[in-house]
Amino acid sequence: MNSKEKERYIENFAFPFCDESTKYEKVAKIGQGTFGEVFKARDKGNPNKYVAMKRVIMENEKEGFPITALREIRILQLLKHENVVNLIQICRTKASASNKYRSTFYLVFDFCEHDLAGLLSNVNVKFSLGEIKKVMQQLLNGLYYIHSNKILHRDMKAANVLITKNGVLKLADFGLARAFSANKNGEPNRFTNRVVTLWYRPPELLLGERNYGPPVDMWGAGCIMAEMWTRSPIMQGSSEQQQLIFISQLCGSITPAVWPGVENLELYKSMELPQAQKRKVKDRLKPYMKDPYACDLLDKLLVLDPSRRADSDTALNHDFFWTDPMPCSLSNMLANHHQSMFEFLAPPRRPSHMRTHHSLPGTRPTTSAVQDSSYQDRVF
Amino acid sequence: MPCWYYDKKELRNTPSKLDGISYETEMRYRKEGARFIKETGSKMDLGYNTMATGMIYFHRFYMFHSFRQFPRYVTACCCLFLAGKVEETPKKCKDIIKTAKSLLSDQKFQTFGEDPKEEVMTLERILLQTIKFDLQVEHPYYYLLKYAKCLKGDKTKLQKMVQMAWTFVNDSLCTTLALQWEPEIIAVALMYLACKLSQFEVVDWIGRTSKHLRWWDMFVEDVTMDLLEDICHQVLDLYQSSSSTAPESPPLAPRAAQGSHTPIKGLVTSNGQEKMDVDSSTTVASQLTCAMKQQQQQPAMPPDAPPYPYNTLPPYPYPAPTHIAPPPGPPHMSGPPPPMVFPTYPPGFPPIPPPNAAASGFYANPPNPNPNLPPPHRPPYFK
Repeated sequence: MNSKEKERYIENFAFPFCDESTKYEKVAKIGQGTFGEVFKARDKGNPNKYVAMKRVIMENEKEGFPITALREIRILQLLKHENVVNLIQICRTKASASNKYRSTFYLVFDFCEHDLAGLLSNVNVKFSLGEIKKVMQQLLNGLYYIHSNKILHRDMKAANVLITKNGVLKLADFGLARAFSANKNGEPNRFTNRVVTLWYRPPELLLGERNYGPPVDMWGAGCIMAEMWTRSPIMQGSSEQQQLIFISQLCGSITPAVWPGVENLELYKSMELPQAQKRKVKDRLKPYMKDPYACDLLDKLLVLDPSRRADSDTALNHDFFWTDPMPCSLSNMLANHHQSMFEFLAPPRRPSHMRTHHSLPGTRPTTSAVQDSSYQDRVF
Repeated sequence: MPCWYYDKKELRNTPSKLDGISYETEMRYRKEGARFIKETGSKMDLGYNTMATGMIYFHRFYMFHSFRQFPRYVTACCCLFLAGKVEETPKKCKDIIKTAKSLLSDQKFQTFGEDPKEEVMTLERILLQTIKFDLQVEHPYYYLLKYAKCLKGDKTKLQKMVQMAWTFVNDSLCTTLALQWEPEIIAVALMYLACKLSQFEVVDWIGRTSKHLRWWDMFVEDVTMDLLEDICHQVLDLYQSSSSTAPESPPLAPRAAQGSHTPIKGLVTSNGQEKMDVDSSTTVASQLTCAMKQQQQQPAMPPDAPPYPYNTLPPYPYPAPTHIAPPPGPPHMSGPPPPMVFPTYPPGFPPIPPPNAAASGFYANPPNPNPNLPPPHRPPYFK
């Protein structure tokens, strides 16, 4: 088959399992994920059905379809749970001369109206304690599920927590997620530690740990939990070093006494670690959180030593979720709001230089976000 | 939903067939393509899972496209390239092509065109769409090790049997068996064959109950002896029909028509009890001799089965949870989670309620801090 014939063949072949993206009609751009733009779109065949379409950026790929996108697809196909975003299908543009016979691919998800960062940045959105409990309970439920399936999310942050208009929480953006297994044959894992948006990155990653596990996501869950009251990320470092200082100032000095084995981490000696800091998690957050059960749960999530950090099972059994006011649905509260709230569309929650970044090398910074040059944390 | 399993009639009515390629030639192309994936992968030190995944993609691809449209060695490279990424053992496209070039004659390599990398990249998109992004594939290796762990008997013999079954699984990937049966069933069938041929008699196994007539009843249901024998024959046919040095064309004369196999007689007695009687299965024995000879001739055949006691299961994604059920215990990696101990910061739970918590009006009902109250009933949050 010569190349002309092949082009015609590709153009005309009706791939039975891969719908064309013209099935959907784009409505608005709603975000910039780890590896592509995200659009809200309407299903033409079912006008009341909205979806989110995430474009797979392949322009700068030397090695074909990005391995990160393959990971996300594989993981999303495995994970089917109420509190995990649902991948409907992958669709394509038709190959033609105009795109050099190379299709563009979109991941198509059920549409969720809000993300948590967008909701928290809107002062008109007020969460009651019962509603906060519901958010956290669903978040931990999602983590329990993915960790049970041996998946690490590795990018926990408020912007990656979606909430439907009915108040159902969905963990999203598995672009950095990967499978993990217990250390096989005594060989420690060698994962990259260049993951998780800096402000939500746990101390073990900042100190260079490569043999990590579910506790990295639990740290992020703790940061998000505090943010439910503070309304903005609690530790907004501008470098790994500064992030470690903020962590020490909140959680106490990082020492072998509170974290046996920390001295063996690669960067333990090269990073400046403030000494004689007292742990102030409860003291500092009490003015915001007030609820003592909430303070206690947060205290168990923001534990320096990952082996002693609460896991999702422990956290879900915490009295916080089993005392009055019990977790209650967000649907009534959200019914008062008629506009989608996404971090991408929201005004900055802090002066713009403090804003959460989506610093993926090679991708555009989001509209008003200032790309922080001090770190690029999406490198594999 | 696509179903990746086909019956024999469908396998004889493929796009290649409709494109004028005979069934026998297509089977040869499939074998050559799959074997080429194995050779290229082995030369690049890729794991057996990666190679097997690539081989499955290859077979699935040609259920939708013809070998006339897409030359097999380019497709094979593309499948290996994608499988490398999916199985977390990525190889650079240009390195795969380089290795392929070293293994192929100039004439065969010409099918890669003027820009081989471009050719593979373009094909990758077609491959992904064809296989519906159904990237996760399971292979019989995992089940082979899992089942073998349960069998009781002489360790040396068991090991020999597993090694033989492992080789059969390798070779089964050169056939369309993976397009016909689930990996569990292929594993059972090829272990059954290996048991017969290595004279390893399974008399007892871990988890045996009175309901189990044979060891595999514990793992798979409704597998008939006819089915097992059919699977075994499809693998054994590989060794009879050609050798790796067979001429390129014309395609080899087909073996006697399907269905005329000599049944493996005397392996199972009428009451279903297994019987070790190699003499009465001379067909199999001779096929095995042929098979063993073949295996020695083939260069760089795949990595060996791991050593007994098969504790080292392959890395993730094996086992990939196919259904969603939380484990009974804590969700953590292994063993009970370490106790939550705070040497310097006792949790002091429940803490004193903050003053004015209720008065602040932040929440409607302040929590009850009374430590003497029994813990509330906790319904399961995960059904």
